[in-house]
Amino acid sequence: MGYIYSLPMIFTAIGAVLCLSRSMYFEEFVSVISALATVVVTGTVVFLPDFSNGFLYIDGLSKIMLIMISAIYTSTVIFSTTYMKYIENPLFEKNFYYFLMNLFAFTMFFTVSVNNFGLMWVGVEATTVTSALLVATENNESSMEATWRYIIIVSSGLIISLLSNVFIYSATHTLSLSMLMSMKVTNAGKILTLGSMMAIVGYGTKAGIFPMHTWLPDVHGKAPAPVSAIFSGVLLPVALYVMARILQIVPVESVRIFSFALGFLTVLIAAVLMVAQGHYKRLFAYSTMENMGMALIGLSLGKYAFIGAIILLISHAFAKSSAFFLTGNVLAKYKSHKMTDVKGISKRMPFTAYTLMFSSMAVTGTPPFGTFIGEFMIIYGMLLNFPLFYTLTLVGFLALAFIAVNFKIGKMIFSESDGEMMERKRVGRIVPMVNTSLAFLVVFLIPQIQEILSKGMIR
Amino acid sequence: MEKFFALIGFFEILLVLFMQWEVYTKKIITTFSIASYTIAVFLFYLGIMENKYLVVILAVLTAGVRGFFIPWFMKKRIVRDPWREREIKPTISTALSILISLSVVIFAYVLYRITFYDSVHLSDGSIPIALILQGVFLMISRRNAFIQLIGYMMMENAIFLFEGYLFPALPFIVEAGVILDLIGIIAIAGIVVKMMKNSTTDSNEFDELKG
Repeated sequence: MGYIYSLPMIFTAIGAVLCLSRSMYFEEFVSVISALATVVVTGTVVFLPDFSNGFLYIDGLSKIMLIMISAIYTSTVIFSTTYMKYIENPLFEKNFYYFLMNLFAFTMFFTVSVNNFGLMWVGVEATTVTSALLVATENNESSMEATWRYIIIVSSGLIISLLSNVFIYSATHTLSLSMLMSMKVTNAGKILTLGSMMAIVGYGTKAGIFPMHTWLPDVHGKAPAPVSAIFSGVLLPVALYVMARILQIVPVESVRIFSFALGFLTVLIAAVLMVAQGHYKRLFAYSTMENMGMALIGLSLGKYAFIGAIILLISHAFAKSSAFFLTGNVLAKYKSHKMTDVKGISKRMPFTAYTLMFSSMAVTGTPPFGTFIGEFMIIYGMLLNFPLFYTLTLVGFLALAFIAVNFKIGKMIFSESDGEMMERKRVGRIVPMVNTSLAFLVVFLIPQIQEILSKGMIR
Repeated sequence: MEKFFALIGFFEILLVLFMQWEVYTKKIITTFSIASYTIAVFLFYLGIMENKYLVVILAVLTAGVRGFFIPWFMKKRIVRDPWREREIKPTISTALSILISLSVVIFAYVLYRITFYDSVHLSDGSIPIALILQGVFLMISRRNAFIQLIGYMMMENAIFLFEGYLFPALPFIVEAGVILDLIGIIAIAGIVVKMMKNSTTDSNEFDELKG
């Protein structure tokens, strides 16, 4: 039975290899098929019991991550099929783009499926290897610079988590996730506590958590829209997944408070920086940072807040990928990253405009989207654990982020423009609309999400 | 074994101090290669003494990948692009680099005694910390992409030395995965460095990487 849990990895690996063939449209066909196959498999595993062996560890949390990755990977691949033509001077051939995209998905599936912290590190670092060139697809000096910053900053941050693996091993004599989960550490020693905190900082680099977040706006701003979408939607949550595992195996107060503090600071800093942004892709990048900060707060608080964090991550993945796809549509037609150059989208690209409006509302936690429910549960968890002042401060900065994003995007959408209609057709419109709708529909799946997290499967 | 570890660690610190003061990229790469071979020798000796064949394999991998392949790959790139051979404008002057890098060694010792010493009973446990901090300093003090990469790899080398000595039983698959990732990072970095020179110039676009 265990083989079914490996299928997402197998499909993406086969997809990657087949993409090396240079037949016309073959790479697109193969990538879409392998992505859809992963959706079918991950949709099936939620009805199957938890599984663990020497290599794999699949529980409710892993299953939710598998579904998220497959869904965003699929929408990204489908969106890419019509978007790539807008990249004027790509760094490589189209088949190599899909080859990297499939390998990238493979590394993410690998990270959330393996039963070993050391291999999780290998998986997270491998996501950097497979995705770095995707960031540089547009092949200009600034995208190269962003790629370089990505490689150096993220790899250096991950060195801290590599060291944390050594510390965890020295304290527990194992890196096996299943063994560590069964240990139930309640009184961690100095080394294990320190190792856990280092893991939070190290993997936090990849998740865009303060203080190692500086690569994130550069990369999201300069990568092509589908790459920004998959980064924001699932790559960052994959790093948060490892942090969630750390918090599960070392549920001690000091580690939780440390994680909470980093999450809190991330939200504050991202909200302030959002106000100053003049480029729409960077604005959404900081919004991602804010959401990851909120999710980390939820993971650190546990119980309802933990479920809230997962709901937030799922809904955010759909909403933010949609927002980035739409920024791709805008960039393809307006040819500028600056907000001041983009006017009257509602008149020139009405479908893109209204979907962008809804996705912006979704990423800022507006009801009725799933992000609102997720943030509400996290804030409720915070109220139970901390004095009211902290909660009010956080809510104040969330409101600031809400105003910054929706005001700026609203201005782009509803300002006056005399230009002619230039809406994108079919795939460029449908994929973002579907993802924005899913960000809302997550609300109806909350009981199932809770069941998967608590019982490991839907009965 | 502890004396051998201290000797190797001391030698590694000398090598990394030399890197801090050197401006020729090729010499820095050669020094990194020597540092990696030294760690491989240590791991080989450790594997033989403790009868752990996986540590011996790890030593061979370390020598092959970090000692030979990566320096060879980097030097090949430098031969193609002679402009990379010398760091023209280091962020920090050589004199200040000497001062800071020596201070980093002292700081690492103090840090180790205050924090880890109670838990990790190793008389020369500050060596890996000093090496990691030196790697960080090398990265932030240089503009040359290859030297920044060497700073990153020095940090990894320090962790290899540390875990190889303290926990030779650490799962081999993890160590092998780390080495595999390193090859990937270097290969990708090599492509990016090459493309940085060839890509379309648009100075206005750099405004977007601010704030």
